Amino acid sequence: MNLFFSNISMIFNINLIHSTIRSSTPVLFAALASVLTQQADILNVGIEGIMLTSSFVAVIISYFTGSWVLALIAAMFTGLIFAVIIAISHLNFKADVFAIGMAINMIALALTRFLLQKILKTSGSFYDKAIVPLPRFNIAFFSNNATLKSLFSGYSLFEILGIPLVFYVSFMIYKTVWGLRLRCVGQNAMAAATAGINVYNKKFEMILWSGILAGIAGAHLSLGYSQMFTENMTNGRGFMGVAAMFFGGANPLWTWIGCLIFGFTDAIASNLQSFGLPPQFMLMIPYLMTVIVLAAAMARYVKIEKYSKSALVSSAKSSKEA
Amino acid sequence: MNENKLVLMQGIYKSFENVHAVIDANFDLNQGEIHSVVGENGAGKSTLMKILYGIHKPDMGTIFVKNKMYHSLTPADAIKLNIGMVHQEFMLAKGVTVLENIILGNEPHKGQKINYSEAQRKISYYIDNYGLDIPLDKMTKDISIGEAQRTEIIKALYRGAQILILDEPTSVLTPQESEQLFKILEAMCKDGKSIVFISHKLNEVMQISNRITAMRQGKTLATVKTQDISIPELAKLMVGREVFLNIASSDHSSRSEVVLSVENIFVPGEKELSKIRNVSFAVYKGEILGVAGVDGNGQSELAEAIAGLRPVEKGKIVLNGVSIEKLPTLSRRKLGFAYIPEDRNSQGLNAGMTIKENLIGNVFYKPDFAKLGVLRENNIKLLAQKLVDRFDIRPPIIKANVSSLSGGNAQKVVIAREMNEDASLLLACQPTRGVDIGAIESIRKSILDAKRNGCSVLLISSDLEEILSLSDRILVMYEGKITGILDISEANEENLGLLMMGAPHV
Amino acid sequence: MFKNSVKNTLLTIVLSLLVGALLMLVFSYNPIYAYNELIKGAFSNAFNFGGTLEKFVPLLLTALAFAVSAKVSIANVGVEGELYLGAIAAAWAGVAFKGLPPFIHILISFFIAMMVGGLWAAIPGALRAYWRVNEVCTTILLNYVAKYFTAYAVNYPLSAHMGVPRTPDIASSATLLRILPPSRANIGLFISLAVYLFVWFMIQRTTLGYKIRSVGANVEYSRSIGINSKRIMISGMILSGAIGGLAGAIEVMGIYGYFLDNFSTGIAFDGMLVSLIAINDFRLIPILALFLAVLKQGSLGMERFTGIPKALIDIITALFILLAALQLLQSLRSSKLLHKFSKKKELA
Repeated sequence: MNLFFSNISMIFNINLIHSTIRSSTPVLFAALASVLTQQADILNVGIEGIMLTSSFVAVIISYFTGSWVLALIAAMFTGLIFAVIIAISHLNFKADVFAIGMAINMIALALTRFLLQKILKTSGSFYDKAIVPLPRFNIAFFSNNATLKSLFSGYSLFEILGIPLVFYVSFMIYKTVWGLRLRCVGQNAMAAATAGINVYNKKFEMILWSGILAGIAGAHLSLGYSQMFTENMTNGRGFMGVAAMFFGGANPLWTWIGCLIFGFTDAIASNLQSFGLPPQFMLMIPYLMTVIVLAAAMARYVKIEKYSKSALVSSAKSSKEA
Repeated sequence: MNENKLVLMQGIYKSFENVHAVIDANFDLNQGEIHSVVGENGAGKSTLMKILYGIHKPDMGTIFVKNKMYHSLTPADAIKLNIGMVHQEFMLAKGVTVLENIILGNEPHKGQKINYSEAQRKISYYIDNYGLDIPLDKMTKDISIGEAQRTEIIKALYRGAQILILDEPTSVLTPQESEQLFKILEAMCKDGKSIVFISHKLNEVMQISNRITAMRQGKTLATVKTQDISIPELAKLMVGREVFLNIASSDHSSRSEVVLSVENIFVPGEKELSKIRNVSFAVYKGEILGVAGVDGNGQSELAEAIAGLRPVEKGKIVLNGVSIEKLPTLSRRKLGFAYIPEDRNSQGLNAGMTIKENLIGNVFYKPDFAKLGVLRENNIKLLAQKLVDRFDIRPPIIKANVSSLSGGNAQKVVIAREMNEDASLLLACQPTRGVDIGAIESIRKSILDAKRNGCSVLLISSDLEEILSLSDRILVMYEGKITGILDISEANEENLGLLMMGAPHV
Repeated sequence: MFKNSVKNTLLTIVLSLLVGALLMLVFSYNPIYAYNELIKGAFSNAFNFGGTLEKFVPLLLTALAFAVSAKVSIANVGVEGELYLGAIAAAWAGVAFKGLPPFIHILISFFIAMMVGGLWAAIPGALRAYWRVNEVCTTILLNYVAKYFTAYAVNYPLSAHMGVPRTPDIASSATLLRILPPSRANIGLFISLAVYLFVWFMIQRTTLGYKIRSVGANVEYSRSIGINSKRIMISGMILSGAIGGLAGAIEVMGIYGYFLDNFSTGIAFDGMLVSLIAINDFRLIPILALFLAVLKQGSLGMERFTGIPKALIDIITALFILLAALQLLQSLRSSKLLHKFSKKKELA
C-alpha cells in the first residue's frame, strides 16, 4: 500500500503544476497565434515553421550579442517577416493558405538546418554557455516553505506572462471595438465590408500579430523552455497549438485549457518514464492525447448542435441551450 | 436642373469578366421621394445600386451626391454621405448579438471598451420612433428573417442614413408584413428621408412609389412618374414583349391514390421556429401540391426530410407504400423520388463538374451508363446531348463547366436531370428563384409536363404567384406547422397571406 | 488547362533555379559549376541515374497518395505516418511469411502494408467525416504517434538486436528485383507507375471515381444525388493511406531489405508538396516528382564535388513550392472562380 502511494506520488506531485505550465507555454503562444488568425477566418498552418525559425534566430542573436532582449526582438521580427510573406501571398495573390503554410514549414526546416551548418558550423544541435536565456523569476514570498518554494520559483519570463496574456487577448476579442470588428470580419467579411471596415487591412493585421506571437513562442522555446537549438525542435508543437485552438473553438480561455491538457500529459509522461516503460510510448502520449481530446471536443460540439436542433426537445429547453 | 437632385448617376458602365451588368445607366433621386427601380432578375438593378453604395466601382460614369462629383465610392464613403443599403442577402455576422451587428463600424466606446449601454440608448430611439421591433441581445443566428430585415434597416438608420436603398425587401415577407414595411417607409419619407426601392413585383411598386425607373439587360430604359404608367406598360418595358405569366393549369386531379404520405413527423431545424413538429399531409397521384409560406418557417427542413438529407426524429414518410424515413437518399431515388433542391448552386449542381457530369448525377451507376464500375462514356454523351436539346440549354456544350451557364440555364440542367427518369414524386423547391423570365416560363411548363405524365409534384415556393398559378391544392406552413390546406378554387393572396402569418384557417 | 499548367510549372522551375543560382552567388559558390555537378549527380552513370529512380518512386507514390485525398477535399498530411507503418508492416511480413513463393510473398507483404496504411488513414478520415475534426491537425499529430510506434517496434519486439535500431533482413522471396545495379533501383518503379495509371483511370473513368470527384467538389450536391458522402470521404482516405503504405513497403522491400528507424527524411512531405504544386493535376505529378528526384539525387553529387551543402538545395526546393503556390494565382484564378460559381454569372 505504501509502495502504491509512493509510486502515485512520483507521478502526481506538486511539481506537476510547474511542469504543466512549463510544457504548455510554448504551445500556448502558438495556440494564441492561431486563435488570432482564426477569428479572422484564416487557418495559419505556418506557425510551426515560424516558431522553428524564430527559435533559431533567438539562439543566434543571444549567442552573438549576449542580450536576451535583442534575441527576443529579433525573434519577433522574424515572425513578422514570415507573416508578411504569408499575408501577401494569401491576401494579394490569393494563394491557398494551407499550401503557403506548409511551404513556410518546409523552408523553416531547410533554412535552419542550412544556417546552423553555415553560421555555427555544426549540425544536430547547438549549445553553448554563452547563450543568454530569458530571465527566470522566483516569487520570494514563499521562500520559507520548501514545497511552496518549488512551486513558485524558477519560472521563465513567458511562463508567467502567458497567463495574463490569455485574459488580455480574451478581453480584446470580446469586449473591445477592435475585437468586435475582428469577429465580424471572420464571420461575415461582406457584412464587415458593407459596414465600412477594411477587411484586407484587418486580415493582414491579424496575420502579423500571429507572426509576432509565433516568434515569441519560438524565442521561448529555445531560450526559456530550453537553452539551446536543436534541429526541428518544435517537433509538432505549432500544430498542437492549432489543435488547442480547435479544441477551444478559437476562444482564448478554452484554448488555454487545451494547452494545459497537453502540458499535463507531457509532464505526466516524463514522470512515467521512471517506471521503465519504453521511452517511445512516453513520447507518443502527448500527441495521442491531443488527438483524443480534440476528437472528444469536436464530438461534443456536434452532439450539442444536434440537441439544439432537435424537434423533440421542448422549445423552452432548447432555446436555453442556444 | 441638377441642383435639386439628391443623387445623380450618369453613364454608368460595369462589367464582371465577360458579363456586362450595367450599360450606360442613368438614375436620379429627389429629396423625400420613394423611387423604385424595376426589372427582372439579372437586369442590373442590384448592381447599379451597389455601385451607389460603394460595393462595386463603376468602369465608367459619374456619381453626384448632393452636388459633389465622384467617380467611385467605398462603403465608408457612402456611409459618410448618409447613404444606407439593406441588401437582399443579409449582411449580418451570425456569431455576435443583434446590437453588435448594428453598431459595427460605429461603436460607442470608452477607450478600447465598447459602451454597450450607450449603444442601447441610441438604438432604442429608432426602435421607438419607427416601430422597428428587434431583440437587441439575442445572438443573430437565432433571430427570424423579419427581425433580421428590421435589424438591417436600423443598421442603416443608426449610421445616419438619409438615403435608404432597399434591395427586394418584400421577397422574405408575407403580404401583411409588406404592408407594415410600406407604412414604415412612408413615415420615413415624411421625416425627410429618401428611398430607393428595388423590386420585380410590379403591384407593390405601383402602390408605393413616386417615380419608377425600369431596367432591362443592364440599361435604364425609362424613368417615369408612377401616375403616368400602368402595370402592363411597365411589364412590357421590363421584358420587351408581351408576357403571359398565368399559365392555366390543365384539368385538376381527382383524389385517387396517395403517392406520398407524411405522418406525424418531427424534424430538427436550424432555428426554433423552423423545426417541424407533428406535421402530416398527403400528396395524391397526378396533382401538384403547393407549399406556401415565408422562407424560414420549416419548408427547407421539410424538403430535406423528404429527400433524406435531414433525419426524421419521429413519425413516418411513406412513398408508394414504402416507408422511407429511415432510408438513404439513393434508395428513395430508386423508389421514384426526384428532387430539385432549393439552392441550385450548393445543392443542385456541382460547380466543379461539367454539364454532362451534372446531367447524369442520378443515373451514372445504372447498367446503361456503367459496366462493372466503369463509366460508359458513349451512352453518357448521348444522354447528355439528348437532354440539352430537349430542355433547350444554352450554350449546348456538354463538356463545358456547369458554372459557365446563366441562372436560368443552370436551373434547366437540374430540371433536365430530375425529369429524365420517370419519377412518381417530384419535390421542387423554389424552382424559379433567381431565374430570368424566359426560363421561368419554360420551367413552369416543365413542371406541368411532369404532372401530365403522371408524376406528382410537391412544389415549395415563397413566390405566391407561382403557387397560385401551378397548384391544385395549397398547403401553408408557419413556424414548422401546417396552418391550412386549401383547394385552388378557394385560395387567394389574402387568405393565403393570413395563413402564412399564422392565423388558423377559418 | 494542361498547357497553361505546364507553361506555369516550367516557368516556376526556371525561376526557382535562378533564385537558387542567386543564393549560391551570395554564398560565393559558382552556380554553373554547381548545376553541372547536379545534372551529373542525377544522370551520369547507372549508379546515379538509379539513385534518381530510387527517389522517384516514393515521391510519385506519396504525391499520388496526397492527390487522392485531395480529390475528396481532405488534406492527408499523414502520409509520412502511413509510409512508416506500411514499411514496418512489410518488414514484419517479409520475415514472418518466409518460405512462400516470391510472387505470393511480395503480394502478401504489399497487401498487409496497404491495409495498415489504409486503416491508419481511416482514423482521421472518420474523425473528419463524422465530427468535422480538422484533418491537418490530426494527421500531423498521428504522424508522430506512428513514428514513435515504429521506433518502439524496431527497438523492442521486432528488433534485430544488431546494435542499430533495425529489423532483421526480410526473406529473399519478399525482396524486389533490382533493375539497374549497382544502384538500388528496383521493379518498384514499374509497380508504382502501374499504380499511378490505375488510380488515375479509376478516378476519371469509374463510378467510384465519379463519386470521389463529386464529393471533393461539392458535398451537398453529392448528398442530394444520393451519394453517401461520409463513406466516400473515408474511402478516399483509406485509398490514400494504402498508397502511402505501399510506398513504405517498396522502400523496405526494394531499397533497404529491412526497416531502419527514421529512414525517411520527410519523403512524404516532399510528395505532398509535389502534389500541391501540380494543383493535384494527375498529369503533372510524375513530371514534378521526377524533377524533385533529380534535385535530390543531384544535390548529393553536387555536395560531394563542390562542397555546397545539400541543405541549400532543400531551400531551393522549398522556395520552388512557395513560388509555385504564388504562380498558382494565374491558373488558380481561372479555376478557382469556376469552382466558386460566383454570383456574377446570374446576371447573364
